[in-house]
Amino acid sequence: MANEPVVLAVMLAVFTAAVFVWKLPSGLALVLSAAAGALTAGEGLPVRHLVEGSFGYLDAVLIIATAMVLMKVVEAGGALGTISYGLMKWLYRWPSLLMIFVAFFVMFPGMLTGLSSACILTTGALVAPALQALGIPAASVGSLIAFLAVLGMVAPPINIPVMIIGGGVDMPYVGFDKPLLLATFPIAILTALYYRYRYVRTIVLEQVLSKLPPSLYVRHGMKLFLPLGLVVALMLSIRLFPQWVPDIGIPLIFMLGAVAGIFTGERFRFWPVARQGIREALPVMGILVGVGMFVQIMTLTGVRGFLAVGALQLPPALLCLGIALLMPAFGSAYAASSVLGVPLVYVFLGKNEIVIASALSLIAGIGDLMPPPMLLCSFAAQIVGEKNPWRILKECLPMILVSLLVGIAMILLADKVARLY
Amino acid sequence: MPLFPIHRIRALLLLAAAAAACLYAGKEFRKMNAPDTILPGQGVSRIRALKDYFPNLEGTRSDSAVYFLESGRPGPTVLVLGGTHPNEPAGFLAAVALVESLRVKAGRLIVVPQACQSGFTCTDPLEGYPQSYSLRSRSRLRTFRFGSRAANPVEDWPDPIIYRHFPSGQQLSGNETRNLNRAYPGKSDGTTTEKTAFAIMKLIRDEKVNLAFDLHEAAPEIPIINAIVTHEKGRELAAGALLGLELENLPYALELSPPNFHGLSHREWGDGTPAIPFLLETTNPVQGRLRGRTGASLAVDGQDRQYRLAQESGRMRITYDAGGEPLARRVGRHLRAIQAVLETYNELHPEGRVELEGIPSYEEIIRNGVGSLLQ
Repeated sequence: MANEPVVLAVMLAVFTAAVFVWKLPSGLALVLSAAAGALTAGEGLPVRHLVEGSFGYLDAVLIIATAMVLMKVVEAGGALGTISYGLMKWLYRWPSLLMIFVAFFVMFPGMLTGLSSACILTTGALVAPALQALGIPAASVGSLIAFLAVLGMVAPPINIPVMIIGGGVDMPYVGFDKPLLLATFPIAILTALYYRYRYVRTIVLEQVLSKLPPSLYVRHGMKLFLPLGLVVALMLSIRLFPQWVPDIGIPLIFMLGAVAGIFTGERFRFWPVARQGIREALPVMGILVGVGMFVQIMTLTGVRGFLAVGALQLPPALLCLGIALLMPAFGSAYAASSVLGVPLVYVFLGKNEIVIASALSLIAGIGDLMPPPMLLCSFAAQIVGEKNPWRILKECLPMILVSLLVGIAMILLADKVARLY
Repeated sequence: MPLFPIHRIRALLLLAAAAAACLYAGKEFRKMNAPDTILPGQGVSRIRALKDYFPNLEGTRSDSAVYFLESGRPGPTVLVLGGTHPNEPAGFLAAVALVESLRVKAGRLIVVPQACQSGFTCTDPLEGYPQSYSLRSRSRLRTFRFGSRAANPVEDWPDPIIYRHFPSGQQLSGNETRNLNRAYPGKSDGTTTEKTAFAIMKLIRDEKVNLAFDLHEAAPEIPIINAIVTHEKGRELAAGALLGLELENLPYALELSPPNFHGLSHREWGDGTPAIPFLLETTNPVQGRLRGRTGASLAVDGQDRQYRLAQESGRMRITYDAGGEPLARRVGRHLRAIQAVLETYNELHPEGRVELEGIPSYEEIIRNGVGSLLQ
């Protein structure tokens, strides 16, 4: 029966070997590393725990599957191309404004649902062709939408990591709008401008439009946007009028949008398109199933606690550095918020806890980009047609660094930040 | 192209392995549907169920037994709720101990050991929890289910992304939808958890409960621990009890229910019924976020190296005894705190006392173990 550091080392070694030596898909590599961790810890092959862990992200798996079907339908019906085309045509004269608009457009579903993956799979997928047509390399487009997805998840009005932290410390989700706005909007604008000045020079409209699918607006009119309009209307009305509109769940909303898409644009055969969407989503769904098993075995064997206590044991000078490195290392915003976010609110007791929780959610949010699952990088890679999600992570690094610095600064200056609003 | 290319054979083998794992795990999960055995002691005069207070619960996973221990002599009615969170075994076992060992000499006691019965039928994914733990009772080895913090997701799946408390509209993360102690006062046409909360509120009103206890545990890093949380109207009783417990070297903290945090028993029972509510917390490493290896022994013995290390780091307040937090100590604390509040009540209301018999002292429980309280 090995102790926690040994179990962790074995899990990481098996994962690395499975991905880089045996060339297995990441999802399968995570399953193998979870099983190896359990065996090393003397737990045998705990089938019940592995299966239970695989259900840990079932809701997210359903959201991804249905979102992919929706996006494939919207693409086949012609709305996807028309939106990219229109975006360019309207905003090509003002590249900075275009990029800032794109940033908030991508973040919007995450702000509404609290789900980072929703940003990539919906608005991210809508703007990706336009951004690529501007000449931004695929990996950079992927990094932009992956990073904006993190900001969308953290931005108000809905921030699930803060709710998870709040649930652990009995703090109601009240008063977070302004600190979350401060934590995300300036970074979003900075990100948009960073990509604009790095990649986008003068836009020659004809050249850009020639790389995009044609607009079908003339042929179908506003009807073309009905599926997306329905999705946005349902999401908004559930949030704005909860007393009248029941929360039917994101997967069902996406499926309703997909069904509407059959009748609102170009004709296409629904089943092959839906099947293609599911086929493309499978690797990412596999990762989520594998991550669930990985986290369950980390918890069962004590590795999770070992990492959390390890962070707390760091000397004060290194604590913030430890937070910046360890929270994202959990590879999941939700896991990091639950495991480290809650104790850390107590570590910083006495400072403004609303600002602290907001800052921690920003740092934890980076976890959705990080390995082993690299969830958002894998999604984004899928959307932009980049084979290697590590390239997307590499492109995200400057903005990740900025976010970590902002998060740590908010923690250190929590009381001063609170006085700003 | 061959009929069975290698990638297809590989895929079929993987599918077969996944199917076998699911079948095996499915059987394990279904074992949790078998109810725990609770053996009513001599003090139990009748047994009802939550469905008797709200018939919509009949035939659901959320219906739960309600044990009456009646003296036949006048006195206050006291409600004790265990198992609001089925991953907090001390609250559940303290309630079971009352059902199996207590006799009431004046007044009456109503005990619901498994308030969130549905939560006893599953564990929480990603938490690595055991499905059960065993204790040697006075006569045999007893095994109890270790459940989930919240009701079984099968009841109202999927959770909404945001949980909106009824009627306040307070927002919490979606998984709190199934948390009984965020659902009060409940809703007759709401989710399964809201219906359970509604039934418990109705029980409190129908049975004219005077004093109500909700038994919990909390992670060692949570500041509200070894604490009595009460509504404004329970402040005097709780303060008196604290003094008595302090003299017995059982330190407790007194916490007042925050008026702006809705859905909790100590807030909504107090606001919505005549009962004076008390929520009791003990320290439970198995539900803590810093815990090390997770398993049945951690639930029973409460010994965890990571909590010892976290405490030594001095970085945050950790309520954890270096020797561990065994179940006997946690159950003993709950039982002693209930008695202390009732003793204070008796001092303040000599005309209508509640008198209990059959609970060993705290020291005896520590010495003989939790099993000594069970048949």
